[in-house]
Amino acid sequence: MTDAPAESADPNQPAASGQAKILDPTGLHARPAVKLTKLAKTHEATVEIRAGEEGKWVNAKSPNAVMKLKAGSGEILFVRAEGAQASEAVNALVALIERDFDAE
Amino acid sequence: MSNFVGIVIVSHSPNVAKGTADMVREMVGDEVRVAYCGGNAEGGLGTDVATIHNAIDSVFGAQGVAVLVDLGGAETNSEMAIEMMDEERQNAIVICNAPIVEGAVMAATEAAGGGSLDEVRATAEEFLS
Amino acid sequence: MEPETIKAVISRTHAEILAHAEELTDLDQAIGDGDHGINMKRGFEAIAAAADTIAELPDGKALEKAGMTLVMSVGGASGPLYGSLLMAMGKAMPEEPGSLGDFAGAFQAGVEAVMKRGKSQGGEKTMLEVLLPVAALLSTADSLDVEAVRATADAGLASTKDMKATKGRASFLGERSMGHLDPGARSSALLIHAVCDIIEGK
Repeated sequence: MTDAPAESADPNQPAASGQAKILDPTGLHARPAVKLTKLAKTHEATVEIRAGEEGKWVNAKSPNAVMKLKAGSGEILFVRAEGAQASEAVNALVALIERDFDAE
Repeated sequence: MSNFVGIVIVSHSPNVAKGTADMVREMVGDEVRVAYCGGNAEGGLGTDVATIHNAIDSVFGAQGVAVLVDLGGAETNSEMAIEMMDEERQNAIVICNAPIVEGAVMAATEAAGGGSLDEVRATAEEFLS
Repeated sequence: MEPETIKAVISRTHAEILAHAEELTDLDQAIGDGDHGINMKRGFEAIAAAADTIAELPDGKALEKAGMTLVMSVGGASGPLYGSLLMAMGKAMPEEPGSLGDFAGAFQAGVEAVMKRGKSQGGEKTMLEVLLPVAALLSTADSLDVEAVRATADAGLASTKDMKATKGRASFLGERSMGHLDPGARSSALLIHAVCDIIEGK
């Protein structure tokens, strides 16, 4: 699901946020992490994710950072973006997570 | 396909080299060009300059090439192979100080996102940090 | 050098490597991966096959070409290391070398290339144990004393026996690498002896 607009440091910058649950039984493992990173990189906006409400926000375009989240199955991934295409970025990432990363 | 940084995997073992390249293709996709080499002429463990040279050559493009290596000789021979390329190409080829498998996947992910050679190297190298 | 002299150096070094290939392999089996004899043989066979072309080149270019041939035909560490030695020597060689100083300078440049390529300063049970003292002898000598060159190479080789390897695959053996001569130092000594023989007209 996506809820916009989110709080933004700069009111002139478009911002968006959303969240989705990890469906894969092994959690956010290497392959989905790479997919998420690649998708985030296709958007100009700054995109960050965190695992759970207490998690630390990390750069969704960094494969290292995303893998190190070690987000488990059933955990909620929070997504937020700021800048051009912010809501497109959030929508795309949330959709990818909801589709279970297009797992075969 | 030269708008992405190319990736070269150099292992002493042909199986490790191929397996690493397979992982990159499966996890990252095939938009990034990946070449791999490993093993000596007798089918044993080893690396050689001529084969590495050809592997780099096969994926070289405008964005340059990131090389991932395993133990000692793979790095030495990759350095030598780079020095034997045309001088204007040498500055566009880097050896990443990263574990070969993880580094290759990270480098290819960064490359597939359109990262520059410096960004690709940094992403591969930050894996251990 | 005359083309005939270059050919003589090539055929003599090739013959020495062939005659000692088994010994090099045996030494390498003790502390390395056992391919030094076969690699050196393959490399010097490739140089011998290109002897006619190499011999027509000026000295510097001939060395570079021989080094390049080694690099491109030999896997493992020995091809790039010996290749770097010859290529750097070739680059540093004046167009018409005449003096011992010309040769000593080129040899020093070659040895420095080996140090850079192998990331070693010496004292680590490698070919540098032979090359470094020989380079030092040549650069301080007023005239060429072939017997002193041989003796220096032999002493360097002997010194590797009780050294502990910290470079290359032998380093995995640690203490157990002690008591064995280093195969790379052995092949360096062989080649230096071969060149000494030619200088003496043997």
